[in-house]
Amino acid sequence: MTEWTEKYRPESLSDVRGNNKSVEELEEWAEGWSEHREPALVYGAPGVGKTSAVHALAADRDWRVVEQNASDSRTADAVEKVAGEAARSQGLGGGRTLVVLDEADNLHGNADRGGSSTVTEIAKEAEQPMVLIANEEREMSGAVKRACQKIEFADVTKRSIVPVLRDLLQEEGVEYESEALDEIAEANSGDLRGAVNDLQAVAEGRSKLTVEDVEVTGGRDREEEIWGFLDTLFKGDDMEKALREVMDVDESPDDLVHWIDEGMPKVYSGAELVDGYHWLSRADVYLGRTIATQNYSLWRYANSCMVGGVHSARQESKGGWTRYGFPTTWRKLGQTKKSRGLRDSAARKVGESSLMSMAAARDLAFPYIELLMEDETQARRIADGLDLTAEEVAELTGMDEDEASELVEEDVQEVDEDEWEGFVDDRDEDDQSTLGSFD
Amino acid sequence: MFQAKINAGLLQSSIDAVGVFVDECKVRVDSEGLSVKAVDPANVGMVELDVPADSFDSFEADDELLGLNLTKFDDIIGMAKAGDVVALELDPETGKLKIQIDGLRYTLSLIDPESIHQEPNVPDLDLPGEVVLAGAEINRGIKASGMVSDHMAFGVEDKSFYMSAEGDQDDVRVDLTEDEVISLTAEEDARSLFSLDYLESMSKAIPSDAQVTLYVGSDFPVRMEFELQGGDADVSYLLAPRIENE
Repeated sequence: MTEWTEKYRPESLSDVRGNNKSVEELEEWAEGWSEHREPALVYGAPGVGKTSAVHALAADRDWRVVEQNASDSRTADAVEKVAGEAARSQGLGGGRTLVVLDEADNLHGNADRGGSSTVTEIAKEAEQPMVLIANEEREMSGAVKRACQKIEFADVTKRSIVPVLRDLLQEEGVEYESEALDEIAEANSGDLRGAVNDLQAVAEGRSKLTVEDVEVTGGRDREEEIWGFLDTLFKGDDMEKALREVMDVDESPDDLVHWIDEGMPKVYSGAELVDGYHWLSRADVYLGRTIATQNYSLWRYANSCMVGGVHSARQESKGGWTRYGFPTTWRKLGQTKKSRGLRDSAARKVGESSLMSMAAARDLAFPYIELLMEDETQARRIADGLDLTAEEVAELTGMDEDEASELVEEDVQEVDEDEWEGFVDDRDEDDQSTLGSFD
Repeated sequence: MFQAKINAGLLQSSIDAVGVFVDECKVRVDSEGLSVKAVDPANVGMVELDVPADSFDSFEADDELLGLNLTKFDDIIGMAKAGDVVALELDPETGKLKIQIDGLRYTLSLIDPESIHQEPNVPDLDLPGEVVLAGAEINRGIKASGMVSDHMAFGVEDKSFYMSAEGDQDDVRVDLTEDEVISLTAEEDARSLFSLDYLESMSKAIPSDAQVTLYVGSDFPVRMEFELQGGDADVSYLLAPRIENE
């Protein structure tokens, strides 16, 4: 199956849809290159046609393309070896070489801190036309930006996406309701590639595309994507592939850890589970540290542990079809949200009165308070002293809400007096007897 | 169908010659023998390797195109001792390459040839300078140039062949007159500049005792042709020149 984004990739700049002005600028840049000899920085959101436009440009001018994109190895060294050499060389077979560095913003300061200065150096000294492609202009270093002619590709408007989709369907011989195309364009507002991919997903193999077809598909993508990834992780042979795919999964590591947690016991068994969960717990340690330090670069270690580690835990090959479930952790968290909220608000009150943090109150004081509150009289006194609500009392004691609210709402003053009187009476008696005997 | 036996030393030096430019390549086999044509990712260097059928201990092949991971293949062949014979066989059912070295069996998965970088069409080049000399001489010139710069020139002038490099501080130049090389023809003076990164890796694959024919032009690619193991395989390198800034 060919992807439509490939099949219908523009072969000439004149076929590029949207961003007419940017396309013109690109054309002018290329036209004047032998004079100005500056590299170009083409930037804009994903899927708006930057790479397609650059390749179309090369095809128009019969320039050979040497490209380095994110899937290639991209250390400073590798960039120097490929892009650098290509930019300095005449190239085999003569003619011009267009040196394309795709996702150039991903080089800067990422895994490889040498990347950015290498790129600047190559861009400045390039003897061949060179294009850097980036999503985020502001991620690029000032030096690179100063060395380049900047060409911005704006988001492709919904208005421009719809006609593209319409043309594709005509080409593919699929009838359609225009609302269906509107829906797709709307959902992918700005992202032409995303829209074409979505269109292919719902329209390929059909004779007619209706609004319902489009609506049914909405939201399914994400889960299918993660299922595919889990299969690669639990059943695939290639750890590198799993590590690569995890980048494309639209889940952050702190969500992903739950998917893996949920899925692992369905595929692994015995010692594999022991090792697997060991690595998963390691990943969780990094997730915790990420939250605590707000240093999100720690995420990559969490990823390595939960993908690389879990993958390495497998001892025998696995196959078959697995029904991966939605993580139950989230459902449980949803179900217990209220009770956790009550527990925390009670803990805060305990903390305030006893000069402890909320967490310390929860962990250290709660066991005792729960024990104390088993006695109804004490419970009443504690509830009053800490100003606990009925719900909080119920949460702490396990009473049902009616009992709890009765306990809280009883006239506290009166309760206190009764209790106090009783206490005083008792003492009085004692005192009296004592005094008596003393007398 | 492909089934062959080959001397490990010849196979190893053939891999080394191709590995200078690429980590994976398309290997073509037919009744004539085995051949490889590969260009590096930057499109600067190209290698052509030819191992004729009669250089093999035994050789049988229909037209096949194999996608080979050279790094892995190199590791496997590295297991062979000098004088070992390596048996290669394409398993028609699994499409994998079965390699056998003195009792060691290795089944190597092949790569889809379609996914391997396409080599460019290089036009026939009319290169005015042609010099034949010992591999050792070229390797020496490259080594010395590497001490002062990251690029060097090959050239012919006044009936002599020269290699030179200019660094920020130091310069190197090797001149070889007509009498000091095996043969020299130069229709006109010529000079081109090349990246030493490439030349240094190429030099590792050029046997010192090989007779190398080097063709040079003015700002044109350089071609170097030589034989491995006294003629059992032919290697041809083509390296694109640096663009010289004024």
